[in-house]
Amino acid sequence: MKKWIKFVLFTALLVVLAACTANEEAGKKPEAETGGKDSKDNKPAEEKVLYLNNGEEPTSFDPSVGFNAVSWSALNNLMEGLTRLSEDHLAEEASAEKIDVSEDGLTYTFTIRDGAKWSNGDPLTANDFLFAWQHMLDPETASPAAFLAYFIEGAEDYNTGEGTVEDIGIEAPDEKTFVVKLTAPNEAFLNIITNPSFFPINEKVATDNPKWFTEADSFVSNGPFKLASWDHDVKFVFEKNENYWDADKVKLDKVNWEMVSDSTTAYQMYQSDELDSTDVPSEIAEDLKDNPEVKLEDQAGLYFFRFNTSMEPFTNKKIRRAFGEAVNQEDIVEFVTKNGEKPAHGFVSYGFIGPDGKEFRESAGDLVSFNPEEAKKLLEEGMKEEGYTELPKVTLTYSTSDSHQKIAVALQSMFKENLGVDIELQNVEAGVFLADQKEFKYQFSRSSFLHDYADPVNALESFISDSSMNRTTWSNPDYDKLIEAVKNETDENKRWTLLQQADTMLMDEMPVIPLYYYNQSTLEKPGVTGILRHPVGYLDLKYADKE
Amino acid sequence: MPLYILKRFIMMIVTVLIIATLTFVLMRAIPGSPFDEERTSNPTIQANLEKFYKLDQPMPIQYLNYLKSIVTFDYGPSIKKPNESVNTLLARGFPISFELGMATIIVAVISGIILGTFAALRHNGIIDYGAMTFAVVGISIPNFVLATLLIQQVAVNWHLLPPATWSSPKHMILPIIALATGPTAIIARLTRASMLEVLTQDYIKMARAKGLSPFRIVARHALRNALMPVVTIMGTMLAGILTGTFVIEKIFAIPGMGKYFVESINNRDYPVIMGSTVFYSAFLVFMLFLVDIVYGFLDPRIKLHKKEGEV
Repeated sequence: MKKWIKFVLFTALLVVLAACTANEEAGKKPEAETGGKDSKDNKPAEEKVLYLNNGEEPTSFDPSVGFNAVSWSALNNLMEGLTRLSEDHLAEEASAEKIDVSEDGLTYTFTIRDGAKWSNGDPLTANDFLFAWQHMLDPETASPAAFLAYFIEGAEDYNTGEGTVEDIGIEAPDEKTFVVKLTAPNEAFLNIITNPSFFPINEKVATDNPKWFTEADSFVSNGPFKLASWDHDVKFVFEKNENYWDADKVKLDKVNWEMVSDSTTAYQMYQSDELDSTDVPSEIAEDLKDNPEVKLEDQAGLYFFRFNTSMEPFTNKKIRRAFGEAVNQEDIVEFVTKNGEKPAHGFVSYGFIGPDGKEFRESAGDLVSFNPEEAKKLLEEGMKEEGYTELPKVTLTYSTSDSHQKIAVALQSMFKENLGVDIELQNVEAGVFLADQKEFKYQFSRSSFLHDYADPVNALESFISDSSMNRTTWSNPDYDKLIEAVKNETDENKRWTLLQQADTMLMDEMPVIPLYYYNQSTLEKPGVTGILRHPVGYLDLKYADKE
Repeated sequence: MPLYILKRFIMMIVTVLIIATLTFVLMRAIPGSPFDEERTSNPTIQANLEKFYKLDQPMPIQYLNYLKSIVTFDYGPSIKKPNESVNTLLARGFPISFELGMATIIVAVISGIILGTFAALRHNGIIDYGAMTFAVVGISIPNFVLATLLIQQVAVNWHLLPPATWSSPKHMILPIIALATGPTAIIARLTRASMLEVLTQDYIKMARAKGLSPFRIVARHALRNALMPVVTIMGTMLAGILTGTFVIEKIFAIPGMGKYFVESINNRDYPVIMGSTVFYSAFLVFMLFLVDIVYGFLDPRIKLHKKEGEV
């Protein structure tokens, strides 16, 4: 019997061990990575290495496919488009040395910079842009970013399978010239193409190896850094790209990116000096309020609530407005979110400077603010108009999360206190929530918006009748016309006025209640400088330095 | 015996197929799609994406494709990480989860058995109370609380060990402690209880009377019989721990496969849901199968009973 047991246990152990070593990398892994970590202490003193956290594995380094912040933070520093955002968040010449715009504002001619090169030494050509943009619009690529390019002639037709690649209004008449034809003048065009989906792709490399972007060995870049190594799901490392045209400005030698998804853990790594910068975890934002290492920066976008204007009682404008004025945005940011956000009194967020040099938000003014008396009055009037003796039941729905719940509970008590209305709260799993919201199943629900490009119209166009971002069933022909007019207006001052009118109309009709504008709250070690975080845009390390 | 093993093996495959089918039905029954996101919802692009992932085909065809992917072990590309196939994700994550899990199990089994045995031998003594207090605390404290506490004290305040990531043996100590405490406590309690029972048996008295050394009695005669309940729970425990633990892996930023179970469902990343569920259930069922066979060898009564059943 004794022998039997030994035999069985031993066999079981063997089976388990065999399974273990069958996975070829199981044994090697720790050693390889030990080397990486130790090098932190052994590095030469003068080498500047910045330690950052990307949160998770980048979705894709194919510029057309990686359409989210975890991909952009890396791509924006590995590559460079025709334009790049300056420290003042304005698009300026980057890979393009010269940009000519035709008088009608429809044709842009870019001259590629002499000396712009890929990290493998190949010259950067106009063809690389042509190739990349066609790749993005190819229906086969299924790029989630393609809609950004729809204002280019023929782009939408090709992407939806109705046109051909030749009909897209982009061409490369010679190695250094890239011409783009738009369907309508667009003030935001140069800003939109700072998005990584408009970055070039080295045609030669991509033709030889269609999977060039999946590993560090085959990855070629034309930006301030190159991809030195990429250990999937673990970390990736940048090295300074000596072939970059503006390499003299780049001060860091290396950037080491961890992928730590838990924000508390990332904060603990920051505390033990394993990271130079990290996001402020929302749970401890309040404790860190007076910490000098915390940096607050605007982020264009906001937290808001949508009314379903086809469901009673929100079919009535006055009732919507009453709910809006019963919300105290200042209290929400001060006592609920506590992360230094700015309260929202209009739909367009901070960070947009007009032709007059003023903030859009300041010029447009407070379009909805806390006013309990007015709110009560509006509610009464609205109920009279609709002939209600009692307000139909109101349910506020949000996707399951602690932070959304806190805000929903605060709103519930504000409506109770300021309107005398009892609303019900309902939480739903995030995926289900989004699907149902798009099918207009909720009466009153939580939402958020982040800009795709830095122009107020990006936020406002969400509410034209046929926008997939509308999700309120609200439809107003005057508003549609106004947005149309904004898009066709070439005079900057007039355009800015039209934009303000649109924001005013939206807040007056109130299909949505704005709550607060997002911000980016990060911790940065003393001695770290020059990391750019734009209100709309992508982390920029070109000018970053570390003492 | 071989016939019994064969029967169990066929049952195992049927079980996995049933789980796979149920997963498919449940997965497609939840509302939402992998492309439902707050910001991008352009219908044309969504249609392109659906075509790319063959989600535009009728449900029965999708189910057939799915069955085919199970048989061929090829689940195709992940929807949220289009550059990676599900196989790559699992092949990359599993060895790491396995490494962590194996170390955890070894630590838990050894320390649990030692603790339980000593507690039983010093029944109602200080060691017993100490060990059982530890066990109660160990079972009651959720491992994620323990993990955060460990990082804060050991790594941040005392600077003894690195806080997170999976890059050297030093990095492995904290997650293993956090993960092993619960199973250690469970094993310690089980060992103690069955050890107490075994120690009162006649054959132990006989061994004592023969004048065997106390160590020999415990190690060779008592412990072996006291370990049956431990073997029973090992099957599920192994499968659970070896295939990754979402929370611990997230807190310590360990690139194992635990996250795929949770994230794939949140993201409606169908290929990853399928891949990870089938992998996990096959692994679990296989572990239970192994345990069943080990029982047969360990306890003759079970073997006899099964044999009668066969004939």
